[in-house]
Amino acid sequence: MSVPGERLDWRAIGTASQPVAWGAAALGVLLGAWLLATTVTGIVPRNVLPSPVELIARFATLVVEPFSGSTLEGHALASLTRWVIGVGAAIGLGVPIGIVLAWLPPCRAAFTPIFEVLRYIPPFAWVPIAVLWLGASTTTQALIVFIAAFPVCVINTQLGVAHVDRILLFAAQSLGSGPLRMLARVVLPVAAPFVFTGVRIAFSNGWMALVGAELVVGKQGLGFLISQGQANDSVATILVGMVTIGVIGSIIDVVLQRMQRRLLPWQPASAHSGTGRR
Amino acid sequence: MTSGTTTVPRWRVVRDRRAAASFWRREPGPLPRLVIAVGAVAIVLAAWWLATRPDGPIPPLFLPPPGDVAEAFVRLLSRPYLGNTLLQHVGASLSIVLGGWLLAGVVGLPLGIAMGWSQRARWIVFPVFQLLRPVPPLAWIPLAIYWFGIGSPARMFVVFIAAVVPWVMNAIQAVYSIDRLLVQAALTLGASDRQILTRVVCRTALPTLVAGARVALGNAWTTLVAAELIAATAGLGYIALNASRTLETGILLVAMAVIGLLGALFSSGMQLVTRLVAPWARDRATP
Repeated sequence: MSVPGERLDWRAIGTASQPVAWGAAALGVLLGAWLLATTVTGIVPRNVLPSPVELIARFATLVVEPFSGSTLEGHALASLTRWVIGVGAAIGLGVPIGIVLAWLPPCRAAFTPIFEVLRYIPPFAWVPIAVLWLGASTTTQALIVFIAAFPVCVINTQLGVAHVDRILLFAAQSLGSGPLRMLARVVLPVAAPFVFTGVRIAFSNGWMALVGAELVVGKQGLGFLISQGQANDSVATILVGMVTIGVIGSIIDVVLQRMQRRLLPWQPASAHSGTGRR
Repeated sequence: MTSGTTTVPRWRVVRDRRAAASFWRREPGPLPRLVIAVGAVAIVLAAWWLATRPDGPIPPLFLPPPGDVAEAFVRLLSRPYLGNTLLQHVGASLSIVLGGWLLAGVVGLPLGIAMGWSQRARWIVFPVFQLLRPVPPLAWIPLAIYWFGIGSPARMFVVFIAAVVPWVMNAIQAVYSIDRLLVQAALTLGASDRQILTRVVCRTALPTLVAGARVALGNAWTTLVAAELIAATAGLGYIALNASRTLETGILLVAMAVIGLLGALFSSGMQLVTRLVAPWARDRATP
C-alpha cells in the first residue's frame, strides 16, 4: 500500500521519533489489555481467547510435535510448495500470453470476452469443480493458486506492453530491428516493472486463495492446520496458524519489493499501482 | 513504415502506420472486433458441446454438456434445492455480503478518514492495522466459526474483515493525498479545521472513497463464497460444494456462473455509482 512518502506538513507538529513512540504505545496497551483480560483477571475464558503466553507455548509445541499429520514447518512447507507451483505456472503462462495479447490486437479481441467472463468467478468458486477434476491433491490446490494468480499476470503484462511509447518502436524499427528484437530490446525493458508488479500481486492473491482452498480440501498445509484447530477446539492452534500465514505472506512481499527495487530501478511511477485485485 | 517528419500531424502518422501494418499488428475496428469476439465465444461453446457429447472425450461427471447446465438452471429456479430455490440462495448470499460490506463501511470510513486527517490517529492505529492486514480474511474463517458457530454471524464477520481493509486504506489514501493547495486556500480564506474536513476534504476525496467501496464489495463477495464453502446452510457457495459432493455438475456450473455474474454486476454497478456521485473522477482504487 503506497501511502505517499510526504507527510502532511500543514498539520505536522512532531519529530521523527514520535510516530514510533505512539505506535509502540498503542501496541503495548493492546498487549497489556490482552494479558490483563486473559492471564491476570481471566475475564475472557481460555477457550475464547488464549493468553499470549499460551500462544507462544503452543507455537513451540507445534514446531516440535506433529499436529494433524505434521509439524508446523511441515504444514508450511506443503503450503509453500503448492503456492510456488501455482504461481510459477501462472507467471510462466500469463506473462507470454499477456505479451501476445498486447502485441497482436486481433488475439486480444478474441481472448478478452472469454477472459472477462471467467475473471469474475472468484478462485474459491473453482474449488468444488477442481476437487471433482483432480481429487483432493496438491494439483487441486496449485490449480486454485493458478486461477487466483493468472489474471493479474496477464493484465499487468498487457498494461506494461501497452505502455511502450510508439516513438521508441518507430525508432527501433527504422534502425532496422525485426519484431522479435523489438520485443526483447524495447518492449520487455519498458514492460518489466509492470510485469513485476503483476507478479507481486500474483503471489499475494495466490497465497490468499491457497489458504481458502486448504480450508476446504486437503490433508496438509497451513489452511488445513487452522481448520483442524477449529475441529479440535484449540483456539491457540488457530491463532498460531493465522500468524504464520500472515508472517510468511508479508515476508515474501517484502522480499519481492526489495527485489523489484534492486533489479528494476528504472520503473515509471505508475507501475507501482498496477492493476490489483478485481 | 512512416517517415515521421515533424510537419506531418500525429493522426496522419498513426493512420499511415495502420495502413502499413499487417492484420496481426493492427487494432481491429469496432465491427471486426465484434465479429472476432462472437467467433471466439462461439468456438469455445462449440468445443464444449463437442467434447461433452454422449460419445465425446469428456464424461459429464467432469464437465456436463451446455444443455444440462441450462436444464439445471431452469430446475433450480422453480424447484427448491437443499431447502431453497436458486433465488432464495442468492438472497441469502446477498444479504450477508451487503450486511458485512455496509458494516465495514460504517466502521472503516470514519476510521480511515480520521487516520488520513490526524497524524496522531495514524500513528496509533496504523501499526495495529498493519499487524492484522497480512492475515488473509479467509484465515479468519475457522476462528469465526469457533467463536460464532456455523450461523450467519460467522460469515458476516469474515465478510466484514475482508471489506474493512479496502474501506480504510482508500479513505486514508483519499484524505491524505489531497492537494495541499486546496487546504491552504481554505485556510487562507479563514476556514476552520472542521470546515476544511467537511467542505474540502470529504468532497475531494469522494471518488477514491467510492473506488474503495467498490474494491471492498469485490473482496466481500469473494470471501463470502469461500466462507459458504466451509460453513453455511444456504447460499451459492453452499450449493456449489454440495453439488460437487453429489456429483451434480450441472448445478455446480450454474452456481459458479451465478457467482461470477453477481460479481460482475457488483463491479459494474459500483462503476455506475462512481460516475453518478463523482462524474469528474477517474478510477483510482487502492486494492
